[in-house]
Amino acid sequence: MKLKQSVLLLAVLGLAVGAAYASDPKIEALARSCNSCHGLNGVSAGPSMPSIGGQSEAYLKNIMLQWKSGKRYSATMGRHFKGYSDEELAGLAAYFSQLPWTPVVQHADAKVLAHGKEATDRCETCHGATGGKPDDAETPRLNGQWAHYLALELEKYRNGEVAMTHKKMRKNAQKLEAADVPAVAHFYAAQPE
Amino acid sequence: MNSFNRRNFIKAAIAAAPASAFLTLPQTAHAGKKASVVVVGGGYGGATAAKYLKLMDPALDVTLVERNPIYTSCPLSNEVISGHGKIEDLQIGYDGLKKRGINVLFDDATGIDAAKKTVSLKGGKTLNYDALVVSPGVDFNYTAVEGYSEALANSSHPHAWKAGAQTLALKKKLEGMQDGQTFVLSVPKGPFRCPPGPYERASQVASYFKHHGMNKCKVIIADANDSFSKKGLFEQAWARQYPGMIEWVSGANGGQVVKFDAASNTASSDFNAYKGDVVNIIPPHHAGAIAKHAGLTNDKGWCPVDMLTMESTLHKDVYVVGDACVHGDLPVYAAPKSAHSAATQAKVAVGAIIAKLHGLPAPEPFFVNTCYSITAPGWGFSVVHVYRVKDGKLVYIKEAGGISPVKMASEEQLVLQRKLEAEYAIGWLKNIMADAFA
Ligand SMILES: Cc1cc2nc3c(=O)[nH]c(=O)nc-3n(C[C@H](O)[C@H](O)[C@H](O)COP(=O)(O)OP(=O)(O)OC[C@H]3O[C@@H](n4cnc5c(N)ncnc54)[C@H](O)[C@@H]3O)c2cc1C
Ligand code: HEC
Ligand code: HEC
Repeated sequence: MKLKQSVLLLAVLGLAVGAAYASDPKIEALARSCNSCHGLNGVSAGPSMPSIGGQSEAYLKNIMLQWKSGKRYSATMGRHFKGYSDEELAGLAAYFSQLPWTPVVQHADAKVLAHGKEATDRCETCHGATGGKPDDAETPRLNGQWAHYLALELEKYRNGEVAMTHKKMRKNAQKLEAADVPAVAHFYAAQPE
Repeated sequence: MNSFNRRNFIKAAIAAAPASAFLTLPQTAHAGKKASVVVVGGGYGGATAAKYLKLMDPALDVTLVERNPIYTSCPLSNEVISGHGKIEDLQIGYDGLKKRGINVLFDDATGIDAAKKTVSLKGGKTLNYDALVVSPGVDFNYTAVEGYSEALANSSHPHAWKAGAQTLALKKKLEGMQDGQTFVLSVPKGPFRCPPGPYERASQVASYFKHHGMNKCKVIIADANDSFSKKGLFEQAWARQYPGMIEWVSGANGGQVVKFDAASNTASSDFNAYKGDVVNIIPPHHAGAIAKHAGLTNDKGWCPVDMLTMESTLHKDVYVVGDACVHGDLPVYAAPKSAHSAATQAKVAVGAIIAKLHGLPAPEPFFVNTCYSITAPGWGFSVVHVYRVKDGKLVYIKEAGGISPVKMASEEQLVLQRKLEAEYAIGWLKNIMADAFA
């Protein structure tokens, strides 16, 4: 008991070294700083900011490293990640991927939802019918993500000028009509799973 | 500004409640009795500290002393003055912290005895602590501007540098203005809370004028300083959105206001007189009064702390976070006085306190800050600071952080970038409020 307690303590305080990422306390200490923008446990309370807890490790790691290298466009995030080592970013990806994905289900008009459902036909192969069952680890969950964030993100993919690295996703986003964007965002945001 | 969706906000906050990310400590190794931590001041620094103390060590006895039952956020309060935001969206109580098992006392801390380790309250109580967090924000030095006073601030001439009643009073004064009139904003010598804040306020005032077709109005910024935060970004925004409307006078050009005459609404420096129809004087400030009273301040009125733990260098077991502290002697890159800095500092202090209570060395700290500013609806930008520990010292990481790009490859990119950051500013606020209070 005594031993277990002190191991726990070391872990909470970020003093243990060499632990696996999942419980690496140094990573937890870094992760606490993310809460200011992404919410406790990566569940965002702000509609323009994404929830990140429970996204897949591969997706998280990929985009964070792309931001650090400057390969991928971001408005704010990239400037942060230049201050982290690759190992820390990998650790953060592992850490947030192990938290539960917590959809914040947002209600919308039936008409908007119907429009959104139709417009997401072509998205289904990769994102699943509701955005909650991505077909591979590089694809993020969309169900219960904030609608406002999703719409802004789609704007990035649709804007031909900023560096969004995933060509197929970009093409798909560009095929949407402008009026589809909010409907699609509300559709995914309304899905519990 | 998007209106605050309270239902979703609460849902998200509740979803986050179990805090499964945190390992919990079975008990505090403190001679059988629970260790007590008292937090003075329930703003961004103090509320975050209280919450994370309890999250990271549920066995702790945590008491928060705050004089107001409702907190009003300064961030995004400039947008309330211009009418783009609502003050209700910036207000929050302490039920969230109470639900987490924190003992919240609405009282005024009137004395700290660092030798006896006690805090005395106006209401008569005396609290014992093993560790104390002090986050009282700022108080103002009214004597620095002759003729200005706390009484004027609370009646006809609000500074509105603490959000609340004065924010609404200044908004009302702005709404009483007519086309062709002048708004004078006086900025004190740094350090002051929110380095980009005054320039954001000037932008929001101009935004109000433009929105109401009052295109002959002027904003004069009489500044005691010779440069300012995100200057290139602000000047670009002003040239695009408010050409000719905002005039900035640097300290070197006589911008430092030392005198105010309320009868003629004139603020003067040693060289110039600025007559306005509305004059908004931001007085210089120092650490909240309790910090000075407790002997936690240096000769400049701020609280020196150990950069790695936030422990006061003047009193043991007292940790000062937020605006009240001077975070290190980094000449150019000292941590700015912002809500984001206060929250990160609070989390670092919490780690150090829990370690110390358990007889362990302090964990390696990590500091990050982001300040967003909005100059007009859909036009926002930011500055990011990242600090890391290298060779036992806190250093600013030059490769990271910095300001949003001033120039981009195309107009389309620039417009997208500014739009995104205007939206993220609002999302940031909701999260940082929830992270402190929910
Ligand atoms: C116009 C404006 C815009 C701003 N915009 C931003 C922004 O966009 N982003 C950003 O990061 N920051 C911004 N800031 C700065 C931010 O508001 C402060 O940095 C932040 O509030 C600091 O937190 P704090 O805990 O140190 O102090 P505060 O938030 O001021 O909290 C101090 C608390 O302590 C209480 N208190 C004080 N003394 C006692 C006592 N003796 N007993 C009991 N209670 C006491 C007070 O009532 C208060 O609630 C802005 C500030 C202003 C003025
Ligand atoms: C100042 C606020 C802020 C902080 C602090 C912050 N982020 Fe972000 N984050 C953002 C914003 C804004 C975006 C949207 C991307 C952009 O910048 O354009 C984002 C996006 C992300 C995304 C992409 C989510 C998705 O679904 O594609 C990830 C992952 C992420 N952040 C991880 C982190 C981690 C990990 C931390 C802490 C180490 C962190 N962030 C700290 C503001 C922040
Ligand atoms: C070929 C597979 C594929 C298709 C089809 C596809 N997506 Fe994606 N989507 C992805 C991948 C992969 C990503 C992550 C890309 C990256 O890393 O930039 C992504 C990212 C996104 C994001 C960003 C989420 C976040 O958290 O930042 C949104 C929103 C999105 N897709 C919506 C859609 C919509 C709407 C459609 C249909 C119009 C669609 N996608 C079609 C694969 C696809």
